[in-house]
Amino acid sequence: MKKIVVVIIIAIAGCISACEKKLDQSPISGSPTENFYAQTSDFIQAVNAVYNGLMNYPDRQLNLSETRSDNLYAVSDGGVRDWEGVNSFHKTIAGNNYVTEAWAGNYNAIFKANTVLEKLAEKGNVISDTTLRKRLQAEARFLRAFYYFDLVRWFGRVPLIDKTLLANEALKIGRSEVSDVYSFIIADLEFAATNLPETYATADKGRATRYAAKGILALVYMTRSAPTYDIKGPGLGLNEWDKALALLNEIIAGGKYSLLPKYRDIFSYTNENNAEVVFDVQYATGSTPVVGGTFAWVLVPDTWFQSQGKGTQGGLTIRPVSNNLLNSYETADSVRKSISIQTGFTYNGVTETRSFFKKYVDLTKVPTNRIDWPINFIVMRYTDVLMLKAECILHGATGTQADVDAIVNQVRNRAGLTIPVTNVTLAELMEERRKEFAAEGSRWHDLVRSGSIESIMTSWIAAEDVQHVIQPFQKNYIIYPVPQSEIDVKQGLYEQNLGY
Amino acid sequence: MKKYQLPLKPLWLFPFFFLFTFFIANAQTENGNKPVTGKITDEGGNVIPGATIQVKGTNIRISAKDDGTFSIVVPAGKAILIISSIGFTQKEVSLNGETEITVKLSGSKNTLEDVVVIGYGTQKKRNVTGAVVSFDAGKLDERPVTRVDQALVGQMAGVAVKQTSGALGKGFSVQVRGTGSITAGNEPLYVIDGFPLATAAPNAAGNYANGNPLDNINPNDIESIQVLKDAAAAAIYGSRAANGVVIITTKRGRSGKVKLDVNSYVGFVERSKKLDMLNADEWIDRATEMINAKYVADYKAQGAGAADDYEMRRQKINSTIADPTKRIAAGQYNTTYMLDDRWAKPGHPGLRFIDWQDEAFRTGLMQNHQISASGGNEFVRYYVSGNTTRQEGMVINTNFISYSARANVEVNASKKLRFGLNISPTWSIINDPGVEGKDNILHQVLSMSPVQEDSMGLYPNIDKNGQYRWSTSTNSPIGKLQNIIGETKRFRTLTSIFGEYQIIPGLAFKTTLNLDNTDNNSKGFTPYIVASSLDTRNAQGTVQSSGSYNSYKKQTFANENTLSYNKEFNNIHSISALAGFSYNSDKLDNVRLSSNGGYSQNNIITLNAAKGVTGFTTESKNILLSYFGRLQYSFDNKYLLSASMRRDGSSRFGANTKWGWFPSASVGWRISEEEFIKPVTFINDLKLRGSWGKSGNYNIPDYGSINVEALYNYSLNGTSVVGQAPSALTNPDLTWEKSETIDVGFDVTVLQNRISATFDYYTKSNTALLLNAPVPLVTGYGTSLLNAGAVKNKGWDIEITSRNIVKGPFQWTTTANLSHNTNKVTTLTNDQTQILIPSAYGANAQHSILRVGDPMYSIYVVKQIGILTQEDIDKKVALYGPQTVGDPKYYDKSGDGFIDLNDRVIVGHPNPDYVWGITNNFRYKGFDLTVLTQGQWGGSIYSLLGRALGRTGQGYLDNPLGFFRNRWRSPDDPGDGKVGKAYSTFGQIANTDWLYSSDYIRVRVISLGYDLNRVIKSKKGIQAARVYITAENFFGHDKYKGGMNPEANNTDLSGNTGFPEPGDYGGLPLPKSLVLGVNITF
Repeated sequence: MKKIVVVIIIAIAGCISACEKKLDQSPISGSPTENFYAQTSDFIQAVNAVYNGLMNYPDRQLNLSETRSDNLYAVSDGGVRDWEGVNSFHKTIAGNNYVTEAWAGNYNAIFKANTVLEKLAEKGNVISDTTLRKRLQAEARFLRAFYYFDLVRWFGRVPLIDKTLLANEALKIGRSEVSDVYSFIIADLEFAATNLPETYATADKGRATRYAAKGILALVYMTRSAPTYDIKGPGLGLNEWDKALALLNEIIAGGKYSLLPKYRDIFSYTNENNAEVVFDVQYATGSTPVVGGTFAWVLVPDTWFQSQGKGTQGGLTIRPVSNNLLNSYETADSVRKSISIQTGFTYNGVTETRSFFKKYVDLTKVPTNRIDWPINFIVMRYTDVLMLKAECILHGATGTQADVDAIVNQVRNRAGLTIPVTNVTLAELMEERRKEFAAEGSRWHDLVRSGSIESIMTSWIAAEDVQHVIQPFQKNYIIYPVPQSEIDVKQGLYEQNLGY
Repeated sequence: MKKYQLPLKPLWLFPFFFLFTFFIANAQTENGNKPVTGKITDEGGNVIPGATIQVKGTNIRISAKDDGTFSIVVPAGKAILIISSIGFTQKEVSLNGETEITVKLSGSKNTLEDVVVIGYGTQKKRNVTGAVVSFDAGKLDERPVTRVDQALVGQMAGVAVKQTSGALGKGFSVQVRGTGSITAGNEPLYVIDGFPLATAAPNAAGNYANGNPLDNINPNDIESIQVLKDAAAAAIYGSRAANGVVIITTKRGRSGKVKLDVNSYVGFVERSKKLDMLNADEWIDRATEMINAKYVADYKAQGAGAADDYEMRRQKINSTIADPTKRIAAGQYNTTYMLDDRWAKPGHPGLRFIDWQDEAFRTGLMQNHQISASGGNEFVRYYVSGNTTRQEGMVINTNFISYSARANVEVNASKKLRFGLNISPTWSIINDPGVEGKDNILHQVLSMSPVQEDSMGLYPNIDKNGQYRWSTSTNSPIGKLQNIIGETKRFRTLTSIFGEYQIIPGLAFKTTLNLDNTDNNSKGFTPYIVASSLDTRNAQGTVQSSGSYNSYKKQTFANENTLSYNKEFNNIHSISALAGFSYNSDKLDNVRLSSNGGYSQNNIITLNAAKGVTGFTTESKNILLSYFGRLQYSFDNKYLLSASMRRDGSSRFGANTKWGWFPSASVGWRISEEEFIKPVTFINDLKLRGSWGKSGNYNIPDYGSINVEALYNYSLNGTSVVGQAPSALTNPDLTWEKSETIDVGFDVTVLQNRISATFDYYTKSNTALLLNAPVPLVTGYGTSLLNAGAVKNKGWDIEITSRNIVKGPFQWTTTANLSHNTNKVTTLTNDQTQILIPSAYGANAQHSILRVGDPMYSIYVVKQIGILTQEDIDKKVALYGPQTVGDPKYYDKSGDGFIDLNDRVIVGHPNPDYVWGITNNFRYKGFDLTVLTQGQWGGSIYSLLGRALGRTGQGYLDNPLGFFRNRWRSPDDPGDGKVGKAYSTFGQIANTDWLYSSDYIRVRVISLGYDLNRVIKSKKGIQAARVYITAENFFGHDKYKGGMNPEANNTDLSGNTGFPEPGDYGGLPLPKSLVLGVNITF
């Protein structure tokens, strides 16, 4: 009998060593990172993932720029929506989902950029085409700078992260001065402006070009030339309008872009990648995983879609366009107004008298999945390049009033405002931008750059806020608070922005 | 691949050496004989079938027949019989020359001779040194329970069983001695007949997405349940034991005549609670007040007054709209500012008042039928059963059907070799169109406006019906219940085979092979007629239909091998040793398919008619290897010692941390065996116990330590392109949570075994928590799964059984349990002192905090301290935004003069401080009555359903909770001082409005039975027969006015898998049921 026991014990002991090897299980439905970055296509995919970070950008501009500005009077009846605190200057928006998303989304994308840049340095020689290798590096650096620029405009000082980090390393890095962040952004964009191609093959349309890099770089110079407002925000009071102008002129001289004859065609679903597009965020519908967008309906009330026989999208209740913006359109300016704004509607016998932005909605293109809209979001279009140029000149850069007037008249003329204007002032130029770029996410940034945000917002609140729910404007509100989750992650790591 | 060093190999061998040194032959002699016959009954004279009769000092042992009679041969020179039966005190009877005797055994639920099942073996209760609690499942078949966890509610000290759902077939939440884990789940390990089932933590919404270990386990097949509460008892299960271990033993056959049991009950089930909501008249009253207030406020400049009629309002509103085409046309409304004229008309012509709750609930029929046969002889013992349950839910169009069978067979192949097979195939079907949870049907039943167009009946916004203008846009919840399909079919088979060989007397080797296979399919279909809005339905038709088909296959395989040795020496030393090795693997295959773009045909619900289908499959697997050993020693039944050790290795953990040790030790001292205490006659038994042990919690994802790429696709020129990047910040050192428990307690039996009690005090320290620690977002991610943080649980539990009246025809026994538990976070990570739990519903719904020194998930909100008066405003008390007179007044904690999130304070914690249960059993002649009452107090609910139905700034559309009746209406009519005015514009902040006490008391079971043997004279064929009537959840009281069930969990509140925080956002009340049944034994 004892023999049997011995045999069993030996059998078990034999099994044990075999079984222990089974403890090394590898994911059945996942691809381990350590095996990735082994061939050219892996690196292209890694760069594509950096572009993926752009997909939240449009919604962010609508929620944080349009909603906070004098373009929208976004107060809801119950006061419960996430946009309420953004619109009404609540002190306590450090926990706001939109604010947190701006920090999280940009840093996640920066992490992906840092990952691919590190892997390119480490294993990039598997890419035999050196031009491609350089291009991928330049794309990643362009995008990294793009995300940092978004961060610095929302938050001012932000931590400067140029490599992938472990959690405990990140806990030692505080916020960098705004000027240091700009230096980093400019270095990346200059590299991109040198190493990115002027154009791409059709299949790669949507990747960043060297003109996109120049355009964003021009905007960077202009933004940091804005006044400081005595806060640690995006304006440094530098006088770099000429630097910006030079870059804008290079884009114009490149001859790749032109104004479309019709305003409507810029945003047409069938006219994407048109001659105005310097840089955009691209979307497509019907793929898995979803690569479509949501920004088309972010500012559109659900009941309007229902009134049009469409499914609920997710914009929830109305974020009304301000009376101030509605009334600012000249009578002849009906094209831009009607494309950007829907003025009221009736659903189920119930009349909604307020207006809302619906610039990107084409009711014939409503996708079956509400988060899968195909329309691209134009980040910078040629009109913008021209109007930024005029802005630089009005700030003292090389050029004449006639140049400015010509640009403004060109833009107005397309909009159907055929009577020319002269001696356009900076205030008039910014007002023209407001109508040209309504619902395109630039209003808050324009106000900050203009230097007159405080007076404009203060008088607007006084006139528009009939419900008395908007708190008095403070210069501190030019930038957003650091998200509460980040303040809480380690006491004292990041100091909170003043005013919050 | 690295070969792991095994310091463990010698360890798992060492108990063997220990065993072999103690082998001593055990000789027996027999001679002469004398037949003795007799009958065994309980104190009431009722027959006790199957008792064991042993001749003292011999191995002669037989079982009594089912009529309680026996016949045994007593050798010459022996004159004492030992009579024992489970559930009764063992008795020694001196024959004194008699050859026919009647023995009465006294019943006692927790007699010391009872054997309790512990990990990998059994032990006499009197020798147990760990904290173990038992539940005798014998009468479970008389209760209308469909799940084992349901039966455990209120039964055991230290075991809190929460019925988190009123839906059919859903798993309960079981917590042994509080909660120690922040993210990795707090559910115990379940072991059925020695087979450890895969542990499953509920997901963030409180559901068991890939099944609960107790799914489809037929409660009527359960013999007994033991819960191992402290680490000393549970640590033998190592890295899975931190939340306790529940050991379930199913019924098996005994030698003797075939016993055929038939048990059937039929009854009804309905809701136990209706939520107090405003009725239609009250809704109109509130809506009128709010619409008028808003109209007057917004059109002040136009001279608006509450008395303005439709036409005046139309004109005043239109006067402010410049564009004539956008003005309100005659006959059109703006429902924000205009009333329905019919509200004020007598009889409200054309309108229908609907109590949606009454329409959605019903009385359902439930029935259960079980037949089982058991028996055996010296070669074979068997128990076979078949069961069917059909239950109509208390909500229309919900139901549950299950079929299950079981065969437990044991074969003695020789004197030394024993084989066995347990197999239990089960099949269940649940129909539930999605009743519970946020925006699901029950939530809509509650919030749907109670006033609707009469022409639409119960079906507003369904099919060809539009929506009543003043109503929520919800599709009729009744229409949804009748049309949406949600069917889950589950086929589960549990199989165990084992072989046991007795090498020499006392030394046995046992090996088992176990397989648990579950195939679960769920089918969902929502036809377009109950979706979207009328215009969209008309325009799009079946494009608005949607369907899905999801399935999973879950397989757990376990091979356990043990060598055990039991021996007594010189009647003083008793030793029991165990060594073992086990291999365990879990495999999960998931399939998820859903329609994309709607359906192309109507009346077809399967996905072949979908316009497009999207879907995926995933698989995952984990392996657990274990070595374990245990030594138990007792000296003279006085001094008891037990120690165990387990070494676990899991594929789930990082390369550097695959293996861990889990030791435990415990001691016991049976003071009552000491000479000095024997004179104290009222003490029958007294034992002091103390234990220490370490165990683990290994509930993390299968590949949690391996970094994988995730898809981050983008599109270029209208075409999708693949993007890939790392999916998370992974930690290659990830390992299990550690749990260390210290337990001291005593067991005492006094007053001639009339009262017995067990008391335990414990501390449980959970460290190296699997914490989704917040990390700076600059790393790319907000959290990283780390072993960080610690939680401490402290508490005590007490269980008392008192046989109050034992003599005479009337008998009364009471069993009570009470447990107290508190937990607190002792450390977090990165020197953090607090983590604010995010909310899926925006910053203003954030309400939970992990703060060092406070209980886990403490409720952290602004406190309401009254209603704002003009005096308050004049005094400039702190306001939240644009608050005015009649709005709630909040406590300005920060003292900065205004209310914001910085004014939050901790106002409660979710876990109750005390959980209790009392069972009273009464017997009178043939009647027996059992009453189980249970409850809890000291915990709080933060109810998001309460928020949905009763928040500040809530529009008039949603029907609110009944407390709005007592709202502030004017300074002269301030209501109850708690509820602010209906029309408010300041918004909302998470505050004590939605805080409710989770205290409740519930009469869980009342069961009255009658022994038919007393009236059926002709007993031919029938050995026993009884009828019973059982009422479940018939009476109770709770303080939860914001929902139906204070324990409900159905919705993910945090929206963040790092901090799973399930809560109530529309949970069903508990079903109450009344059944009539019969139990016949042939």
